[in-house]
Amino acid sequence: MMEKLLNTLKIDALVVGGGIAGMQSALDLADQGYQVAMVEKEASIGGKMIALSKVFPTLDCCSCITTPKMSAVAHHENIHLFTYCEVQSVEENTNGFKTTVLQKPRYLDADACTGCRMCEYVCPIDLRNPFDLNMGATRAVRVPFSTAVPQIAVLDMENCILCGKCEKACPVGCIDFSQQPKLFTLQTDTIILATGFETTKRDAKKEYGAGELHNVIDGLMMERLLAPTGPYGRIIRPGDGKEPDSIAYVQCAGSRDKTLGVEYCSRVCCMYAIKQAMLISGSLPLADITIYYMDIRAFGKGYEQFFQNARAMGVEFVRGKVAKITQDDHQNPVVRFESTDNGSKVSERTHDLVVLSTGMLPSYDTKPVYRIPAGDDGFVYVPEPNSAPCVTDREGIFVTGAAAGPMDIVDSIVMAGAAAMESAAYMSEKQDQAEIHEQAEESEMEVAHV
Amino acid sequence: MNKKVEARARAEKMKQLRKEHKVTVKRTQGLLKEQKRIHRDICLTIRDTPKTIPEIAEVMEMPSHEVLWHITALKKYDVVAEEGMCGEYVLYTRAEEEA
Amino acid sequence: MSESTNPKKKEEKDEEVRIGVYTCYCGGNISDAVDCEHVKKVMTDLPNVVVSRTDMSMCSDAGQALIEKDIKEKGINRVIVGACAPSLHEQTFRGTVARAGLNPYLYHHVGLREQDSWVSHGDYRGATCKALNLMTAGVAKTRLLAPLEPIRLEAEKHALVIGGGVAGLRTALDTARRGIQVTLIEKSPFLGGRMAQLGKVFPTDEDACATLDKLIQKVASHPKVTIFTQAEVTGVSGYVGDYQIKILQQSRGINNDIAEAVLDADMPKVPDAFNYGLTERKVIYKAYPGCYPPTPAVDWAHYNGEPIIVNGQPTIFYNKPKNFDLKVGAIVVATGFKPYEPRAGEYGYKELPEVVTLPQLIRYLELDKTTRTLTWAGRAVNDIALIHCVGSRDTEGVHEPQADGQVNNYCSRVCCTATLHMANELRERFPDTNIYDFYEDIRTYGRGHETYYQKALEGMVRFLRYRGIERPEVVAAPEGDTHPVLVRAKDSLSQGEEMEVAADLVVLAVGMMPTQVDELVQMLKISRGVDRFLAEVHPKLRPVETAVNGVILAGTAQGPMTIQESVAAASAAAVKVAVLLGQGEVQLDPFVAYVDPEKCDGNGACIEVCKYEDAIKMETVTINGKDVKRAVVTPANCAGCGGCVSACPNRAIDIQGWTLDQYDAMVDAIALDLWDLMEVPA
Repeated sequence: MMEKLLNTLKIDALVVGGGIAGMQSALDLADQGYQVAMVEKEASIGGKMIALSKVFPTLDCCSCITTPKMSAVAHHENIHLFTYCEVQSVEENTNGFKTTVLQKPRYLDADACTGCRMCEYVCPIDLRNPFDLNMGATRAVRVPFSTAVPQIAVLDMENCILCGKCEKACPVGCIDFSQQPKLFTLQTDTIILATGFETTKRDAKKEYGAGELHNVIDGLMMERLLAPTGPYGRIIRPGDGKEPDSIAYVQCAGSRDKTLGVEYCSRVCCMYAIKQAMLISGSLPLADITIYYMDIRAFGKGYEQFFQNARAMGVEFVRGKVAKITQDDHQNPVVRFESTDNGSKVSERTHDLVVLSTGMLPSYDTKPVYRIPAGDDGFVYVPEPNSAPCVTDREGIFVTGAAAGPMDIVDSIVMAGAAAMESAAYMSEKQDQAEIHEQAEESEMEVAHV
Repeated sequence: MNKKVEARARAEKMKQLRKEHKVTVKRTQGLLKEQKRIHRDICLTIRDTPKTIPEIAEVMEMPSHEVLWHITALKKYDVVAEEGMCGEYVLYTRAEEEA
Repeated sequence: MSESTNPKKKEEKDEEVRIGVYTCYCGGNISDAVDCEHVKKVMTDLPNVVVSRTDMSMCSDAGQALIEKDIKEKGINRVIVGACAPSLHEQTFRGTVARAGLNPYLYHHVGLREQDSWVSHGDYRGATCKALNLMTAGVAKTRLLAPLEPIRLEAEKHALVIGGGVAGLRTALDTARRGIQVTLIEKSPFLGGRMAQLGKVFPTDEDACATLDKLIQKVASHPKVTIFTQAEVTGVSGYVGDYQIKILQQSRGINNDIAEAVLDADMPKVPDAFNYGLTERKVIYKAYPGCYPPTPAVDWAHYNGEPIIVNGQPTIFYNKPKNFDLKVGAIVVATGFKPYEPRAGEYGYKELPEVVTLPQLIRYLELDKTTRTLTWAGRAVNDIALIHCVGSRDTEGVHEPQADGQVNNYCSRVCCTATLHMANELRERFPDTNIYDFYEDIRTYGRGHETYYQKALEGMVRFLRYRGIERPEVVAAPEGDTHPVLVRAKDSLSQGEEMEVAADLVVLAVGMMPTQVDELVQMLKISRGVDRFLAEVHPKLRPVETAVNGVILAGTAQGPMTIQESVAAASAAAVKVAVLLGQGEVQLDPFVAYVDPEKCDGNGACIEVCKYEDAIKMETVTINGKDVKRAVVTPANCAGCGGCVSACPNRAIDIQGWTLDQYDAMVDAIALDLWDLMEVPA
């Protein structure tokens, strides 16, 4: 099916990355009638956003925003989705860009799989589920998560004992253990990079327990705990399953921190911590929530009001840098901090659970494949941010979303529209120039005839 | 007759594949064996009385965070179920066998 | 490609109604407050209901697939979903049923979240019972749904952009680049907006005017863009794809022959708003050197009609405003912001000459870019106090309201970085100055912004942190003091100690306020948020669109933004215009009035109440060989308001998709007492 598509269809734009930014760019291009190919390295689109619980400042459930967009991408007649694929190389030619893409093996026939999950149910091995930040379980063969698009299983050969149970259980006989990776090419006029971000690793900071304290988690883990589809189905701490009574947030855990080489602000952590605090007080009304912070950066539309609401709800904001986190004999994290509001006194407080408000890091170096350099912060370099925020220093290739620096969902979606605009305008102008060129050639020929 | 041939061919193919993925298969088989033992022990521990994570951890002499993970896996695939709370901890029990 | 089997389907009216009911958990948003499983169970027993299901999120691909499957496999021919507000996902589910081959209008949406779960604070039984009523009413309506066809109209491939600042310019350029005709109107005589008033800007330290000029040149030279300055919208009618706009344009007053000479002429002067009143300018003026259009303009508000000697000739200038009409398919509102104007006495503003706003200081430094000594009001400036959050992050009941009774409780987003950018510039240009920065939180959030904070810290800017409600105080210094003003604050960085800073200059980092566009808001029927900025439909689903189809927002009219963010928002607005008008056709929902000619007696009551032009009129039709008058609706002009429905004494008019019969059925169901069905434990 794919071969037929690639041979017969002229594709205008390639969108690399199927997170919220990539999806929005693809939709905004496809709605204008352009043919769009979307390449996503994971087995499902949805990016980081699909794993979140509810989103600030509206507190909509994240699924309500993401899943319909995922569905729209999957069903759009002008969007061609390639999941579990990675771009290998990009060649420039007279027609634009020729991109070589690697289709990683799912070890099953993707066209035949119905996503019934029979394979997953019979698979004997339980594995840590990366979608739940390793807190929950999954199997060696599985549909990545309940709202995955496409609803197609993927087999993890690294953790498979090749027992063949899934093959027997599959009602459509689609398992294929000997599937091999495949290469294919896409010829497009433009490319939009929507490669997103990573978050600070939980073990990045020795002072914060180096990832060894089980009740010190990161922001994304808390998102999963709060999500209705989360690993435990409730908020309990991963160390011993206790329902926490006192929860602390440590802001700038990985941002504005020279020791980690991250000098910038990650832009979303203040707001997600405040949002999580509000959601926790909804689920655990008696819990005490403390946010240790340097500056609260509630800058977006409706954000300051959101922050003030959290304050009014009783969330405690303590200004001060957390120096160290240890734990007591009952696995309770002990936070040592210097309170600047209290005469720079150093104090210690014990909590049941500590959430590190981890920041955003660049996830993908565009230099080797796209020959596009990174800025000092490691995110994709944008030469003229004030006049062309999505234009990279390579003509025809655009960038959007958190690939171009930390950004929240609202700003990513707006920037995704801008990237779609830039690439569409680029294509129209190229078309116009080609026509002018053709006309000029024609008139020259006429002259020659005379 | 035909079926037998097919089955043999399939068995041969799987054998071949297992050889190809020798390292990961062996590692995973070890993991699976250990996992099965733990799951059996957990189920035994909570068979008669529902228990909390620290209680199970104490009986099994296993770190509580690991117990929680196994319980989470067993719960996801309907082997274990929650049965109320004991203080700040959830009680876990065997899930009812499906009819 | 679309099947127009409408008449046939009407004949098949007797087909069995088979309803699928879907109750969404909304990821907990609904199911936390409503027993969705109980709703599902009760719905199963209603007449015509063939399936009733729940799902964690119906709008997900899997949820939608469930509906599609039921349509195909269970012969469902009417669908109702109880979920979030229809404004979010009604369109999503219409698409779902259409994909499964059903007419998209055989779908009904019930807003269980906004109308029930989100407003039922912890009353689980009450909320569940209300959900039963809402859903039962929905099913009652669903039973009576009939297939409809959307109204398809030709769209004018022409957009109007209101506002000639950076956002408007960018939208105009991008829209034109996509082959769509653009008319850009600007109220003032010159393009560039607020950005033209800035000097070097973050995060690149580029010259704002140079960047702006490049953009203006591109817009002005684009063959698809027409620019009108000194122009305003005075009337709007029509709908997406076909808006009629009335525009009023003032005369420029100056022709090119005297463009140079007039600037040298003697004439009255007025405070120069471009420099926030720091300087004066003539009543015939150019906003700034290199502005566009380059021809000077007469400031009609201040020109007194007296002759001015130009080239030795006494010349009188006349304003002959022009009215003209435009036909456009979409409207982009890029009306921008204005800096917050502190009230007299706020931090000593307007009472102490040494208190200025940040925009004023930027202009002041731009007026003489070369000087290496900073003076203010004739005095050398050594100590400068910067105060953040002036006109931002105010609290109702704590901070004094503005003239209209409002307080700005929002963060203006740009002022922290702009202030620190200024602090660094001051330290660089005037290395002997001492700078004191009074703040509550430093919000240098954007890419490259934190660097300014770091640089300021390293550059010996002294930071003093006050608490939200204990803001600094600015007072005149006692006679004979070394400095003219004193700034006092409790500094939490110095153990809450009361600090007093003697300053030569106090700079207020004022926030952003929406431009006053009341009339435009009314004409366009768009809405404002509680912050008084223009409101989008939803910050994530439709971040640049208003609730009025075809009216789109760009830039700071919508809320505080940096230049970079305004530009991105402007391009995002242009993309929506391109999607809307690119195909040359727009589709409208067919929820318009329809007259049953058999019931109509031609009394004309409907025409009297109709507020829309050419929406309903009397026509002579022949019925049974007799010529009679009957009301006829022009669907494209009908807004579906229902005024005519209530005026008709014969029940001859209905709004398609929302008929009186459907309302009757819904009201009957809403009124049912369903407590008996509540066997949920409290």
